[in-house]
Amino acid sequence: MSKHFVTLNVNGEDHDVVVASNKTLLDVLRDQLNMPETKYGCGTGECGACTVLVEDFTAINSCMTLAATMDGRKITTAAGLQKGNELHPVQQAFIDKAAVQCGYCTPGMVIKSVSLLAKNPNPTEQEIREGLEGSICRCTGYLKIVEAVAAASKAMAGTAG
Amino acid sequence: MGELKTVGKSIERVDIRAKVCGTAVYAADIKFPGMLHGKVVRCYEHAHARVKRLDLSAAAKVPGVIKVLGPKDVTTKKYNQSVIDLMASKTEGQMLGDIEEQSIFTEHVKFYGDGIAGIIAISEEVAERAAQLVKVEYEPLPVYLTPEESGAPDAVQFTPEKPGNRAFQLPEAMFPGNALGWGDVDKAFEEADLVIEDTFYTPKQKQCQMEPNSYVALFDDEGRLNCWTSGQMPKLVHEKLSRLFELPMSRVKINQTVVGGGFGARLGMVLEPEVCAMALAVPGKPVKIQQPREEDWLTSPSRHPSRYWMKIGFKKDGTPVAIDAKSVNFKGGYYLDGSALASTTGFWLQGMYKFQNLRYKGESYFTNQPVCGAFRGYGNPQTNFVLEQMIERACVELNLDPLQWRRKWHKETGDLSWLNATPYTSCALNECLDRGAAAIGWEEKRKKYANQTGTKRRGIGVAVGNHTSGAFPMILEHTTCTVHLNEDASATVLVACSDLGQGSHTTLRQIAAETLGWPIEDVRLETGDSDANGFDIGAHASRTLYVGGAAVMKACQDARGQLLDRAARILKVNRDELDMDNKTIYVEGSPERSVSARDICRVGIYNFVDHATGLPEGEMGQIQAYVSYKPEQNSPPFFATFVELEVDLETGEVELLELVSSHDIGKAIHPAICEGQMEGGAQQGLGMALTEETYFNEKGFATNNSFTDYKMLGASDMPRMTSILVENGDPYGPFGAKSVGEAGVVTPVGATANAIFQATGIQFTQGPITPEKILRAIRERGQTYV
Repeated sequence: MSKHFVTLNVNGEDHDVVVASNKTLLDVLRDQLNMPETKYGCGTGECGACTVLVEDFTAINSCMTLAATMDGRKITTAAGLQKGNELHPVQQAFIDKAAVQCGYCTPGMVIKSVSLLAKNPNPTEQEIREGLEGSICRCTGYLKIVEAVAAASKAMAGTAG
Repeated sequence: MGELKTVGKSIERVDIRAKVCGTAVYAADIKFPGMLHGKVVRCYEHAHARVKRLDLSAAAKVPGVIKVLGPKDVTTKKYNQSVIDLMASKTEGQMLGDIEEQSIFTEHVKFYGDGIAGIIAISEEVAERAAQLVKVEYEPLPVYLTPEESGAPDAVQFTPEKPGNRAFQLPEAMFPGNALGWGDVDKAFEEADLVIEDTFYTPKQKQCQMEPNSYVALFDDEGRLNCWTSGQMPKLVHEKLSRLFELPMSRVKINQTVVGGGFGARLGMVLEPEVCAMALAVPGKPVKIQQPREEDWLTSPSRHPSRYWMKIGFKKDGTPVAIDAKSVNFKGGYYLDGSALASTTGFWLQGMYKFQNLRYKGESYFTNQPVCGAFRGYGNPQTNFVLEQMIERACVELNLDPLQWRRKWHKETGDLSWLNATPYTSCALNECLDRGAAAIGWEEKRKKYANQTGTKRRGIGVAVGNHTSGAFPMILEHTTCTVHLNEDASATVLVACSDLGQGSHTTLRQIAAETLGWPIEDVRLETGDSDANGFDIGAHASRTLYVGGAAVMKACQDARGQLLDRAARILKVNRDELDMDNKTIYVEGSPERSVSARDICRVGIYNFVDHATGLPEGEMGQIQAYVSYKPEQNSPPFFATFVELEVDLETGEVELLELVSSHDIGKAIHPAICEGQMEGGAQQGLGMALTEETYFNEKGFATNNSFTDYKMLGASDMPRMTSILVENGDPYGPFGAKSVGEAGVVTPVGATANAIFQATGIQFTQGPITPEKILRAIRERGQTYV
């Protein structure tokens, strides 16, 4: 298996890593960089538990991304969203709306929501629902998650304004 | 009690900050230096076969492989991966016919994906590569996918203990005539004005909890077997592993991690036996198994597929005179909780309506499919799909209002509940129906949709149900709880109750804080440690809040009582003259006569001698309270769901428009958590009605064990939802609360089927009601819609 030397910028810090060419970004985050907040749910890009943010707005399935292709890219995981003790408005909204149960989909769902709001800061309910497709939650029935994204949208508009 | 400070409020969930930041530690996140990786080698060539020759030599030679394990390299003791058998007495278990027939690695493959060997290697990748080099010679056996096939006289026997491959039928010794119920059903049908019967099928639905199964085990230098697991019943698994590996419980340690969903899939053991057997093979080395998602479909128990026959009889005025039913369940390859499901399916039937005569028979047959066991609702959604459609059909035939019929004939407070043994302690189903009907606009929509034209037609349906709060008086109930008051008057509550994500660690903490009278920040819950925690059954039967919550409440009442007793001795008054406001204990009516709870707790621990008097500065001893609690009641919740939808008669597609569920839960300890259970349950119930089934081809191979091929409803498929909490207070539940956990899944199933009935005029007996089935039914009836 060939190896690649890559620099991954994860949550604002550069990490120089040697990755085998068959290793996914999810493998490298979890196993080599000890960042377990990004979850393995299916390994086939169907559930969204492994979603990470690339360059502040694009949500990707890290289980479907070869780590070797991510050299020099800026990656954000759920653990990298908060600024010091202050949670990201999306994280805060998930708390306020009790949009979390088992929590296993949550890091990916939060990242997916941040991406959704980066692309569309003022989404309709239908746009939120469609934007969350690809991220599966088996606990909540999605209602409180949709409400949380709508609340975050409002909160972020408030800060921006 | 006065005004509630914590209970009844949607406070911030205790685990939520860690979950939104990704710092919550699930089993898959556990990592140790030098950790090895285990892989179970599975049979993907056959769904039924005998292993004639197993050659692990090539696998063993792969660089990085530490050990290969065949069936005889691990304990050959048989076991049962479920834990329901531990909850019946020995005599009862024998009457029910519970068995232990599973092996860690099998030589008789009974389903696609059955485990035949194990590999321990330095990495997952190496183990995977080695698994591909395992050479197996099989003797293929006939594949049985239905009870008729496996029950045929010449069929290969799954286990000698169950002749005819009948895993279970209601035992004669407990249920004369192998049936439960009352009255004379046959005679009653003769006198009925309307008799209808039909046969239904309910699908093999998968829990699909988002966290795949993952475990770490270590046989440590002290000779202890440690297992990190996200199982939902850690204490019973503790007992099971101790028995299986013949180690005293003091040498087995279970560490329950954060649990990424369960819904019954983790009731009992999944791969705990395999990972522990591997750890025992490499003492001193931690071994991790991370199960791929596609294997979860095959190894953790699913809902039982069920063929369900029902016949019901009514008088013209709607009086329900008789019901006769039989469910035949597809058990999968192994027994597990074989005695329970076929029984409870009938319990939910007998608990719902005031039928004058009732008979139910339940059986299960082995089939060459992955195992079946617990799934949220435990037979109740199956019964709801069948019973609620039959009631609907009868109401149409008799020209009765289906909502009013249900209002009139459901069981209520004082009637015998689902086990036909103890009475319902409270019932607010009529209020659930009335508030739900008002919220969705039932009357108006029901009328409006009665006459429609065009290719898109709408329907609105209702279904009712009830469930349980714990397993009393059917099987074992028991939770222990210990409370320590710390020197600063904060409390540590030790209780083994699981939180699978439903929020029970938050609600149990609310109960503790409310009972002690202290802020929730001053109460810590210690769970998940089999050394520290006393006994608790674990999460099943919607028991955690009702039973576990009562145990926590009683232990906290005791601790508070001890604290007040000490205060009474200091203030020289009777205990009942005292009250506590946060940490100040004072004489009622004379608040100036007070003592600090902190001082009492502190001096009890830092118990110095006063040098002036030579006496202790205060009463000695850390305050601790303990209960070993067994409920003497069961307070089932009642609930109703309304579903409105639109069917496209040209494509067969169903669009869900609105769902309203109202639950008589007694008291919401945490309203948002209650709503979460109802909303999440709805997603699973709607899925069972419309899309979810695990399919097998004629060879018995699973064909849709992935999230793409197994369709669950996504965010944009879900309807508008409203959850109504009906809080009338139950006389027995903690703070008046009844359960809410499983209930949410039940009535969306029947309500969806009934809404489709109104929209299309067709009842669908075979779940899930997919577009294909809808189109086929329309075509078969030669119906045209314009």
